[in-house]
Amino acid sequence: MWNFIIRNIGQRLILLIIVSFVAHSFIHLAPGEPSEVDPMNPRMKPEDVAKIRAAFHLDDPVYMQYAYWIRDLGTGELKSFKDSQPVLPKIWNRFLNSLPLFLLATVLVWTWAFPTGIYGAVCRGGVYDRSTVFLSYALISVPGFFLSFLAILWVVGWFGVPVIGMKTFGMDHAETAYKAMDRVWHLVIPSVMAAIAGIAVLSRYVRSQMLEVLSQDYVRTARAKGLQEDTVVYRHALGNALLPFVTMFGLLLPELIGGSVIFEQIFAWPGLGRLGYEAILSRDFPVIMTLNLIAAILTLAGTLLSDILYAVVDPRIRLH
Amino acid sequence: MIIKRLLLFIPLVLVCLLLQSYFWVPTYENQASGNPSRLVTYIEASSGDAKFLNPILSADSSSANIVSQVFEGLLDLDENLSLRGRLATDWQISEQAYLLVNPYHRFPDGTEVTGTTLFHRIQKAWLTGTDESLKKNVQSLELLSATQRKETVSLLLSNTEGQPQLKDIPVTVKVPVRVAFTLSQVDQDLFERLKPILGEQYFEHFPFDELIQFPKDISQETEQALREKFPTILPIGEHNPTIVFHLRKNVNFHDGHELDAGDVKFTYEAIMDPKNLSPRTPDFEPIKKVEIVDPYTLKIVYKRLYSPAITAWTMGILPEHLLNDAALDREKQKRNLSQEAQEVFGMRDSQLTRRPIGSGRFQFVAWKGDQYIHLKRFDDYWEGPTQYQDYYMRIIPELFTQEVEFRTGSIDFYAALPHQVDRYKNDSTYQWFSSLGFAYNYIGYNNRKPLFAEADIRKALGMAINIEEIIQYLVYGEGESITGPYPKNTEWYDTSIQPLPYDPQGAQAIFQKHGWKMNEDGWLEKNGKIFEFNLITNNGNPIRKNLLTIAQNAWKKIGIKVNTQIFEWAVFLGDFVNTGDFDAVVLGWSMGIDPDLYQIWHSSQAGPQQLNFVGYQSQRADELIVRIRQEYNRAQQRQLTHELHRLIHEDQPYTFLYAPLSTRVLDKKIVLVNKGADGKEDYQKIYPIKSGDVTFHFHKWRKLKSTPVFTH
Repeated sequence: MWNFIIRNIGQRLILLIIVSFVAHSFIHLAPGEPSEVDPMNPRMKPEDVAKIRAAFHLDDPVYMQYAYWIRDLGTGELKSFKDSQPVLPKIWNRFLNSLPLFLLATVLVWTWAFPTGIYGAVCRGGVYDRSTVFLSYALISVPGFFLSFLAILWVVGWFGVPVIGMKTFGMDHAETAYKAMDRVWHLVIPSVMAAIAGIAVLSRYVRSQMLEVLSQDYVRTARAKGLQEDTVVYRHALGNALLPFVTMFGLLLPELIGGSVIFEQIFAWPGLGRLGYEAILSRDFPVIMTLNLIAAILTLAGTLLSDILYAVVDPRIRLH
Repeated sequence: MIIKRLLLFIPLVLVCLLLQSYFWVPTYENQASGNPSRLVTYIEASSGDAKFLNPILSADSSSANIVSQVFEGLLDLDENLSLRGRLATDWQISEQAYLLVNPYHRFPDGTEVTGTTLFHRIQKAWLTGTDESLKKNVQSLELLSATQRKETVSLLLSNTEGQPQLKDIPVTVKVPVRVAFTLSQVDQDLFERLKPILGEQYFEHFPFDELIQFPKDISQETEQALREKFPTILPIGEHNPTIVFHLRKNVNFHDGHELDAGDVKFTYEAIMDPKNLSPRTPDFEPIKKVEIVDPYTLKIVYKRLYSPAITAWTMGILPEHLLNDAALDREKQKRNLSQEAQEVFGMRDSQLTRRPIGSGRFQFVAWKGDQYIHLKRFDDYWEGPTQYQDYYMRIIPELFTQEVEFRTGSIDFYAALPHQVDRYKNDSTYQWFSSLGFAYNYIGYNNRKPLFAEADIRKALGMAINIEEIIQYLVYGEGESITGPYPKNTEWYDTSIQPLPYDPQGAQAIFQKHGWKMNEDGWLEKNGKIFEFNLITNNGNPIRKNLLTIAQNAWKKIGIKVNTQIFEWAVFLGDFVNTGDFDAVVLGWSMGIDPDLYQIWHSSQAGPQQLNFVGYQSQRADELIVRIRQEYNRAQQRQLTHELHRLIHEDQPYTFLYAPLSTRVLDKKIVLVNKGADGKEDYQKIYPIKSGDVTFHFHKWRKLKSTPVFTH
């Protein structure tokens, strides 16, 4: 087991270096320049553009730019082109903003998908099952941003309350309880919107897993023993049906960065996804590269974690 | 079964917990109840975040917006777009001029040119008044002896890979004997007036080689480029316009430090410091020196005639005591940076670009990246405090989101799109504005291509497009037709010029006159070739995309085959516009307030990477453009710009489409408060000034509890 983990970490580190270098080259291959050296600014002379280009190392060969990036990242002095602020603290602050949205959406997905899916499997073919199947397909098919716009229009039109951003403006002098509840309210709509597709997809998985387990011999045996139906479903079947989902925890990690770009953009949520999106638009190479590296680390760590988790929960699997 | 119950219970409790928070949130109707400070808080929306809150570094509109509240310039533009004193109470513009002795030349009567002969002849003309304006304008004359100076010349050369690169060459300049003039007014024709005395060719042959010495080890190309610069390094006749500013006394920065002439000089030096990479250097580069006469008086001497330079002083003034070398040294010591970071540490890295301290109406409180910037009013402001106590600029990239926030009372003001304004027009809860700004949209023809070489043909192309219809249907009436390169709300625009008529038949007649005949397929044809070209624009701009299709369709009707294509901005610029490798483009300009059109229309600016990418060439236009930027008299300037406007209109290098109106909406409870002499208050409806700016009277705005009714 420990051997497996150490060897895997080693392999993943090498992969990480390759990924970051390839990504670096691709980003520089893409057309476009950082907006600071946009030649369409009528106030900029070629001399000034040349100075800025030199300061950003834009005219050095790509591998040198990569080396500069690694060096600055290592010393913690990597700065955004856009506002000259250190990249790592910037990313950390955005991460803290993204975290509650991500956590709440995840909690909503996992708490709602299971009861919906299990109940669907239990009354297979009934009205409830067929309507949830229909609803989940509908929710999977409708794009999240579209649903979000509808939700915003509805909430604003009917209730006249703010739904955008992390809190209502001008609330700084209100009481603490009001401020806290205001923050909770602002979390509700974006996290529900981000969770909807997840609930739909996951409940489908849960349903089919449950169906598969419910048709196993040992479930029939349990029923034949004369156990109560609830005991059969929730004790004997559910535990085994859960196994594949444990591994999904690991795969959640990279979602932290890319999972909610669209929702952060629509709800003006100052999170990581929006940071990355805006960095790409303004060709802010240091920010794009660092986010990309973090995403790669999270993905690799996530797959490793799910491998390990699998071995932990399923005694049949051994890691070598 | 406990698991079953938990599975049902947990999601339901979670949802109930979340939804009850709704009852704690303020609604649109009750935004101030229980939260009275909302009435003295102003919140506006911006699509993008600021970058640098420093007037010399900021280049984007969000930063500029905040900077204009926190910092203040010597001047600004008043309601009629004339300059008005802010930190400066008044200013005078005069001129110093210098004329070098040209030893290669002889006077018209054959006498040798020496310092004394030159001086005496000019002095005689001045005193006897042979030239009326010379007598009136010249205040004193002086003969200066020869000197020597050393300077560094920056040349832009291409390196071995063809990339532009800066090269600094040290030169020694032997300045010969010269005559100095002090003029009460700037006179760009001073040396023209002296030609009867000096002779017509006085400015033509000059011994630059003997007077300018440079290192011998430079390459041939470098020497060539340097030689081209000789006339600017040592001009034979030199104009030095001079501005004297008198500063307002007892103006304080937000930290209580008094603002004086030293801060102005420091701001200038900071802009010119190459380490700061200021995007504003072009505006201040014409300055020769900034002299502090006393703590409240400054003298600015310019290297050459460049009248737009004065508008540059609307830029905010930095606090020297917080940003000079000593202050930056203290900051980098405190922040524990690495050796290398310390070496390159400059104003860009200073925390003061994130937490600015200026002397404007509002002082900085906080900046949360991509969320908001918070300012509060500066109570010691010299003109008195504003009505509002807090100012927020919220960053909301989505226009839809802006509208949603506006309708829930979370923002007071935003720039709505035309189709949104259409909705607000029918809603009595809000007030809306639409007014002319400085922008316009156009179709630019590559004047270098034989297809578009004739002004007549370009005119015919313009006549085929129905601009009124575009304004009505594409921008919901939020646009005005234009006829030339100046913003319609400035005095530089000649309103007497008539726009091109919409006349497809007339256009066809012009094509026929030039030998283009309709062929069997319905295309215009000449010498076996049909009239066909590519019309391109950038992606991400729905209005331009629609313009592309409208133009294509309009031209198809008169037999012109147009292929349209949309490119990503970087590709569009890099592969087509900058290289001049295109037929026609749909684009827009956002102009400034000054009448200088050098970069967009002068024929010298038609190279790769330059802004006259359509390759417009007209000798008369070049002359006018140069005269306009050298003219300091506003009335004269207006006359010249009107001539230039007419000329460009006749040449039609662009089809000038329309100037979009900027459209904004505002909470109707916000009014303009006028205080009478007796202290009585009077509410007035907010209105846009000539520049289209609604916020000009912002310091007098107030949000009332309920919507007011105006009596006048």
